[in-house]
Amino acid sequence: MTRIGVYVCHCGLNIAGVVDVEKVAEYAKGLPDVVVAKHYTYMCSEPGQHMIQDDIEAQNLDRIVIATCSPRMHEETFRRAVAEAGLNPYLTEIVNLREHVSWAHTHEPEKATEKAKALVRMGVAHARLLEPLEKRKVSVEKGVLVVGGGIAGIQTSLDLADAGFKVHLVEKSPSIGGRMSQLDKTFPTLDCSACILTPKMVDVAKHPNITLLTNAEVTNVKGFVGNYEASILKNPTYVDAEKCVGCELCTKVCPVKVPDRFNENLTEKRAISIYSTQAVPKIATINPDYCLRLKYNKGVCGKCQDACEAKAIDFEQKPETVQVKVGGIVLAVGSEVFNASKMVELGYGRFKNVISSIEFERISDASGPTGGKIVSPKDGKTPKTIAFIQCVGSRDKRFHDYCCRVGCMVTLKQAILAREKIHENVRIYVCYVDLRAFGKGYDEFYRSARDKDIDFIAGLPSEIHSAQDGSLCFDVYDKGTSKLLEVHPDLVVLGTGLVPNNDLGNISALFHASRSADGFLLEAHPKLRPLETAMGGVFLAGACQGPKDIPDTVAQASGAAAKAIDLLSSGEIELEPLKAVVDKDSCSGCRICESICPFVAVEMKPEVVDGNERFRAEVIEAMCQGCGLCSSACPTGAIKIQQYSSRQVLTQVQAALTETCTEGGK
Amino acid sequence: MSMAKPNLEAREKILAKLRGRELVNCFQCIKCTSGCTALKLLELKPHEIIKLVNLGFVDELPSSDIIWTCVTCLKCVQRCPQKASPYHVIMALRNIAVEKEAKVPEGYLKAVSQILETGLIETPKKIVTRKMETVDRDCLKLPKINPPKENFQAVFTKTMEEK
Repeated sequence: MTRIGVYVCHCGLNIAGVVDVEKVAEYAKGLPDVVVAKHYTYMCSEPGQHMIQDDIEAQNLDRIVIATCSPRMHEETFRRAVAEAGLNPYLTEIVNLREHVSWAHTHEPEKATEKAKALVRMGVAHARLLEPLEKRKVSVEKGVLVVGGGIAGIQTSLDLADAGFKVHLVEKSPSIGGRMSQLDKTFPTLDCSACILTPKMVDVAKHPNITLLTNAEVTNVKGFVGNYEASILKNPTYVDAEKCVGCELCTKVCPVKVPDRFNENLTEKRAISIYSTQAVPKIATINPDYCLRLKYNKGVCGKCQDACEAKAIDFEQKPETVQVKVGGIVLAVGSEVFNASKMVELGYGRFKNVISSIEFERISDASGPTGGKIVSPKDGKTPKTIAFIQCVGSRDKRFHDYCCRVGCMVTLKQAILAREKIHENVRIYVCYVDLRAFGKGYDEFYRSARDKDIDFIAGLPSEIHSAQDGSLCFDVYDKGTSKLLEVHPDLVVLGTGLVPNNDLGNISALFHASRSADGFLLEAHPKLRPLETAMGGVFLAGACQGPKDIPDTVAQASGAAAKAIDLLSSGEIELEPLKAVVDKDSCSGCRICESICPFVAVEMKPEVVDGNERFRAEVIEAMCQGCGLCSSACPTGAIKIQQYSSRQVLTQVQAALTETCTEGGK
Repeated sequence: MSMAKPNLEAREKILAKLRGRELVNCFQCIKCTSGCTALKLLELKPHEIIKLVNLGFVDELPSSDIIWTCVTCLKCVQRCPQKASPYHVIMALRNIAVEKEAKVPEGYLKAVSQILETGLIETPKKIVTRKMETVDRDCLKLPKINPPKENFQAVFTKTMEEK
């Protein structure tokens, strides 16, 4: 005999302000098998939970219906409370009276109360058919794959490695360091980027728990939370990493010039070269698109081979695939800088002295092409007037709707650097829309920029053109003074925003990580689960989830590492039992479930019946999230979600349709 | 300075003509005014017009001369990062001005009636060449320009009407 207890929560006035909770509880008393029905201000509070626990014992209840907020809020809380009282936690049914009733029908209290009664009636009908379920445990691999070796990937890897986990760090460039390694100084403290980053890069290379794979990319991922298997393709560098000592004798003899990507193509390097002065690992790589020997034929050039004393050059090197088994994955693939040539009116690409903010970083950096001297790339002279233009490619419906979150601070920093390096001999304009200095110490930094005699103009120019003498010129209207200014800058720096990586589409497909409307990777919940993807065991760190500055990136990276540690530390994980199950006898092997499962949790397994091989669907329990798509698509009803079988769902539908009187469902 | 009073009813009328609020969804980046062709000579400040409409200070706008100074170069439409399009707001204000029978600049009326009659924005004129000869279309043996077809006026008037 089923004995049901119904508990209606007021949620302060969130529910009780609209729904007549007393009436709903009274109504529930009349429903079949309901032994107790109560209402209380906060069911989720300790006294509320005790009320349920006491009743379970005193009234010998075996099913609990709680009419409260969304199950996303407190289902776990109530299950735990029910379990403590000795009942199987999956015999609890949550009815959502807040998001589905009181918040949705604020102005119709009477109808809302009727709807609440109907939902409670459905909940009771479902509760009657609930089955006890057990959580299952699976063992996990104690390694983590970190994709991307920027500051996010570096921080995550170091945190994980220090906690004793094996880390495979995959970076597609020849060196780790990412965007941060290209920066000169960092806001708001103006400490040099290399000084704080390089030691961390070296730590990564030295850490016994970190396997560093540069020039590499992940090509395939199989498995599920706690048990992933990834294939990593190591592209040939044509230099033996074991033998190369980083002496750069080879780069001195190489005759082929190649644009220097690290210096944003402002300078050239050689076809064989080391990525940057602080590169980790500090090993030469050959660019096969430019190298004469690799591009044309075996007879030519080979000067580097002759020059290398360590005999490290190996033109025969082939791509290599490495397989790794990991429990979790952290995606830290970063972002790219907006290509300002898309915004034609600003003349980027047409005028040599219109540059992007990342190019300014290289020019200002002591290890950059000018040795840290701020000069215009057009004539190599120190500019007398510099103009910074904000929101290039960001907050712009033609390109990217979102705020780039770093542009304002980058410009303030660069304006301060220009003032410090060129002193009073330069006029500095900053043309902005809104100046956002929101982080810790950021507004103080803005203040210090204003102290340095920088002209802030509240307004953007419409276009940059070249004046008759070949110099740059733009008009800008200042909101504060209502004056139209004519500016003749020697150098224009565009505050280019951050945009999703070009290959983020592939990465999203590879790791089954969805993307949000802005193109970045989507977190599982914008507020409460910002470090996870919807895919179990796949975490997010840094700018691949959305534009971020260094402090936020590092915070998120440490958070993602902590999440991975939390998942893997015990060596096994508990899985929710609400999963799809297959009735093998009714499965026709049509593969519809396999094709629609968003979590790749259905596998077709061959089976020999009467000498014929046929395929049957099998659910990989660890990957199934219990979404129910397969169950509703299955033509034979062979696959169903526990607690949501056709019978369990249709009973609720019946309850919704048949009982509309206030008398209760006897 | 006297206190400004918003006229929300008149504002709604303008918004209705714009078919969607996106056209006034402006965050005052001033790109339109910085590049406005009519700003230097005629002091048109598109960002100000948009803000006035946004806040409902619209009573004087239809009767003001300023809305007739836009030369419809459409630079603001192309470059507005919020697709707020001051041009469309100015056109809506012009239409309201005509409805209200507010003063429309003479030159503007002249231009419209000339197009109605001849089908041309400019009538063919005599010009002086580099050799200081005065020539017209005839002596350059250019084809004659025919007056517009009968239904032109009807079509033209119909397109000027609002949809």
